Amino acid sequence: MRRTILIPLLILLVALVVAACQQQQAQPPTPQVIEKTVVVEKTVVVEKEKPVEKTVVVEVTPTPVDYGNVVILSTQAKPIEEQEKMRGVVLADFPGTPEFIAEDEGVLIDRVVAEAQAGKGSVDVIIALHGTFPVLLAEDTLMDVSDLMADLSDRGIPEKFVELGKLGTDTQYYIPIMQATYIFAANKAALEYLPEGADPDKLTYEQLREWGKNMQEATGEQKLGFPAGERGLMHRFLEGYLYPSYTGTMVTGFRSPEAATMWGEFRDTWQYVNVQSVAYEFMQEPLLAEEVWVAFDHTARLINAFKERPDDFVALPAPSGPAGLGFMPVIVGAAIPKNAPNPEGAKAMIEYLTRPETQIAILREIGFFPVTSVDFPGYVSVGIRKEGEAVAKQAAAPNAIPALLPVGLGEKGGEFNKVYRDTFTRIVLNGEDIQTVLEEEAANLQAILDATGAPCWPPDPPSEGPCQVK
Amino acid sequence: MRRWSWSRVWLHVLAVLLALWVIVPIYLIAVAAFSPRDVIYKYPKPLFPTQVSLETMLFFIRSSGVLDSVRRSIVVALLTLAVSMAVGAPAGYALARYVFPGRDTFRIAIVSTRAFPIVILSIPLAVSFINLGLYDSVISVALMHTALALPFTILVTSSVFASVPVDLEEAAMTLGCSRLGAFWRISLPLTLPGLAAAAIFTFVLSWNEVFAAAILTLRNRTLPAHVLSVLNESPLPFRFAGGFFLLVPALIFMLFIRRYLFNLWGRVVR
Repeated sequence: MRRTILIPLLILLVALVVAACQQQQAQPPTPQVIEKTVVVEKTVVVEKEKPVEKTVVVEVTPTPVDYGNVVILSTQAKPIEEQEKMRGVVLADFPGTPEFIAEDEGVLIDRVVAEAQAGKGSVDVIIALHGTFPVLLAEDTLMDVSDLMADLSDRGIPEKFVELGKLGTDTQYYIPIMQATYIFAANKAALEYLPEGADPDKLTYEQLREWGKNMQEATGEQKLGFPAGERGLMHRFLEGYLYPSYTGTMVTGFRSPEAATMWGEFRDTWQYVNVQSVAYEFMQEPLLAEEVWVAFDHTARLINAFKERPDDFVALPAPSGPAGLGFMPVIVGAAIPKNAPNPEGAKAMIEYLTRPETQIAILREIGFFPVTSVDFPGYVSVGIRKEGEAVAKQAAAPNAIPALLPVGLGEKGGEFNKVYRDTFTRIVLNGEDIQTVLEEEAANLQAILDATGAPCWPPDPPSEGPCQVK
Repeated sequence: MRRWSWSRVWLHVLAVLLALWVIVPIYLIAVAAFSPRDVIYKYPKPLFPTQVSLETMLFFIRSSGVLDSVRRSIVVALLTLAVSMAVGAPAGYALARYVFPGRDTFRIAIVSTRAFPIVILSIPLAVSFINLGLYDSVISVALMHTALALPFTILVTSSVFASVPVDLEEAAMTLGCSRLGAFWRISLPLTLPGLAAAAIFTFVLSWNEVFAAAILTLRNRTLPAHVLSVLNESPLPFRFAGGFFLLVPALIFMLFIRRYLFNLWGRVVR
């Protein structure tokens, strides 16, 4: 009985797979490589006794540059669809044969280290988050790409990002190629309540409070919003925006006098923040529902507001504090392993990735924002363009302080975030004494840093041994 | 009489439940893999296919490298199977039939190879394979999988051979068989079901293994190394398509090997 059911079922399955394979053969998904031939026509008028008009056709074929096989190993664009878009669209115009391989961070590190130890490499370009590169550098696997960086100096990559690519040394080890980040979104209705003389692109946290106050006085509602719900990203606001803006640090200034001032002011601001914020997770929904008018969140968690009602929302860079404009870029860089088999091709690939048209292709296909100065063309959807402009302004602000995602905490990352959220809950929501809370939570923070041995990461100054809360 | 039939009924109910336990998830994956995308995102999901669509499945199959990696996975699994059987079965036979000095130590040593977590070994392994010139090839993965499968193969085959009475072999030898002939004509046919079980295990181990395959290959990936690690970051339709795709070849292999297993069960039941 079982056999009689199972066998036809399996035959059916096999038939389906075979059918699928045949169709696959019918339409091979080969990415097209287009060779361009440039034809220049010149009209030369030769003036002699008898004026003769002669047309000279000069055919110019660009020397076919072929950089050969370039193997790209990436921890980004991992989902199958994104991989296909990388292969089929983003990398399609590269003069050579790119091979895009997506891999988990752990495997990527092991492989690159192993290839370095064996002295025989097969990877040409590594694409990864900033946090991956210090590990690779510690194993002495990265090539010096300072020359390449100098060649790309006209691309307009923000100085601060370039600096991060040096990993705290004098040598350029990776080149930033794309970014994601967190910004503010505001309903246009809110703009008329901006404090007097405030430039929405250059707000301060004080003006943000004033703004919230104005909106509350005008509408009777608390119109500021933060994603402080359980799965919201409030901790990123505290770690990467508030702390660096007031103290210039994320960790070392945790219980500094500046931090105490900051918490006092933020508690004051919170009275204008929608009380439902403690339940918000993705700010695009309360923005679209107009429960709040001004909100902070990750670009990917705001994008629907811009997509669905592009005319009603503006994207704003984060406000500045006394120390500067703290913001948290999620930076993706490209590096070359020391023993890359095709270093010339690798350099050409990085150059290709930082071209404006490639940057736009990356944005359209896999949703990472450009790191270079790019004019957003009309065919990028309005929502993405708005976000992209705010992202660019934020990163290029003269007082910008990029605060990186924690580096080297591994699985303790969640506990690290919890310290910031607990501090927020106790001070802002429960109204506990600021200095007491800071002392107690600083001890928790230090315990995590000691347990992992993680040295300080930007914006905190480099440290010998585990990062220390001052 | 009545009590007997009741126990039969319960036995059947139990068998059906166990079968459902295995079949229902496979069925649901298959349905989802062949449904259009909007149906997959619906909630609650339909239990029966309302519309059949090859869209997701085709995208999955067409995405670059999938078919190649399937081919490699099959080659690796078969190579693993062949090598581990060729090495493991004789080793198991030796353990079952002969008493030699250090036999118990040998047994422990076999199992202890599984005591090292492969994650720790990954860098040294990759380095040695690069130095041997075997990096990024089907053979390297097959060798690694053989190493992973051997302990099990040896222990299973040795207990299987031990279950065949020596008397039978001796009888064969008194009737003119050589030692090898007795093994070939008597022991091997009797132990076929057990060997089939070991083969299934070896095949499935190789088919599912991700880590070694991922670290030892770069461009020549096996299917799990190619897709498994990215599936949990992929949209729902791809998870179903990928899951289904990983499932089918293993099912087909088991279907082939099943008749040998039934021999074993048949003998026990009778």
